[in-house]
Amino acid sequence: MSRTLICAAALFAFFHLAAVPAADLAEEEFRQLHAELQPAKDALWRTVPWKTSVLDAQQVAAVEKKPLFIWAMDGHPLGCT
Amino acid sequence: MIDRESTFADKEIVNFLQSRVIPVAIDQWFQRRQKDSEGDFYRRIASQGPRHDFESGTTQGLYMASADGTFLGYTNNRSPERVKEMLRQAMLKFRPVATEQLTVEREDPRYTLTAPTGGLIVRVQAKVMGGYEETDDVMKQIFQTALSRDNLWVSQSEHSAIAAGRFPKSLALRIARFHLVDNTRGEPPMWRESEVVKTNFEIDGTVVRGHAELSTASGDRSYSVDLLGELRTEDGKVVEWNMVASGSFFGDGRYTRGAPQGKFPLAISFTLADGNDIADDIPPQGSRGWLRGYLP
Repeated sequence: MSRTLICAAALFAFFHLAAVPAADLAEEEFRQLHAELQPAKDALWRTVPWKTSVLDAQQVAAVEKKPLFIWAMDGHPLGCT
Repeated sequence: MIDRESTFADKEIVNFLQSRVIPVAIDQWFQRRQKDSEGDFYRRIASQGPRHDFESGTTQGLYMASADGTFLGYTNNRSPERVKEMLRQAMLKFRPVATEQLTVEREDPRYTLTAPTGGLIVRVQAKVMGGYEETDDVMKQIFQTALSRDNLWVSQSEHSAIAAGRFPKSLALRIARFHLVDNTRGEPPMWRESEVVKTNFEIDGTVVRGHAELSTASGDRSYSVDLLGELRTEDGKVVEWNMVASGSFFGDGRYTRGAPQGKFPLAISFTLADGNDIADDIPPQGSRGWLRGYLP
C-alpha cells in the first residue's frame, strides 16, 4: 500500500471516529474487554450435548433406552444462572 | 454459575452425561407452569420428587428419570460427590425397558418463546472486573470470577434500522433495562423504565457508541456505563456486531447478594450470535413471563 493511501486511511479513521460523541471507553479497552468477556470454548460443561426440551430428551431416551438427566434451575442454566 | 464450575467441571460426571444418559437443561420456571405436553411430562417427573409445589415454589435441582416418567433420583446439592452418589443410586433403579416416544400434542404459547423472524440474537456476557474482598472460599471465588450469559433479541424493524445506521430508541431502552444488569451471581433485578435515567446510543458508519445512566429511586442500585462497539453490514443485514459496556455499578438484588462493597467495575460484552453456541436458542431472561414487555 502506498504512503498516500495509508495517510488517507488514517485521516478517514480519525474523522470517522471523531464524528461520534466521545465516550470514556477507548477502542483498545473495548477490544481487550470484548476478548476477555468470551466463554472458554473448552469448558467441560459445554462438551455435554444438552437438550433444552424434556420432550425432545424423552424421545431420544425412549429410542436409546437411556434415562434422562434434567438440570432444572431458576433462570436458564445454559444462560443466566 | 456454581453448577458449571463445580458439578459440571467434574470429568467423571461429564463423561457420564455424555454417554449414559440423555442430558437436558431447562429453566423450570417455564415447565412447572406451562399447560402443554412439555410441562405435563416435567411435572409428572418432578411431582415424584421432594419439590412439587408448582404454583409458588421452585422445583430446581438435578433429576434422573426414566423415559416413561418414572422418578429415579434428585439432588439440589452442587458437590460433585453428592451428585455422583445420586447418579449411582438412580442407575441402580433404572430398567432399560421399551418406552413409547411422547409427541407434542399441544404447546402453551405463553411459554413457547422463539426469536423474532428477521431479527437478531446477540450474546450478552457480564463480569465483575474488581472490587471483591479476597476469599479462600471456593464457591465465593466461583461467583467472583463468573462470566454470565444471556441473549438480547432484536426485532426485524430494529435490525433494519441498525443496518441503515440508526440506533432505535426501543432497542436502546431494551438494552438498558434488561441487559445492563449484574447477573453474575444469579437472577438479577431488571431496571424499571422509570429507572432508566438516560440513554444515548449512536451509530456512525461502523462505530457504535453510547452512554447510559441507571438508578433506582432510592439509589440502592445504580449503573453509570459507557458503550463502544463496531458493526458490519452486508446487503442490508448486520453480519457482525461486537460491543462492550463498561462502567461503575452499585448494589445488588434479592437473588444476587454478595456484590462488592460500594461502587465496582462491571463490564458487559455483546456479540452477534451465529447459532452455533448451545445457549443461542435460550430466550432472554427479561422476556420470561411477559414477552410483550420485553419485545413490544
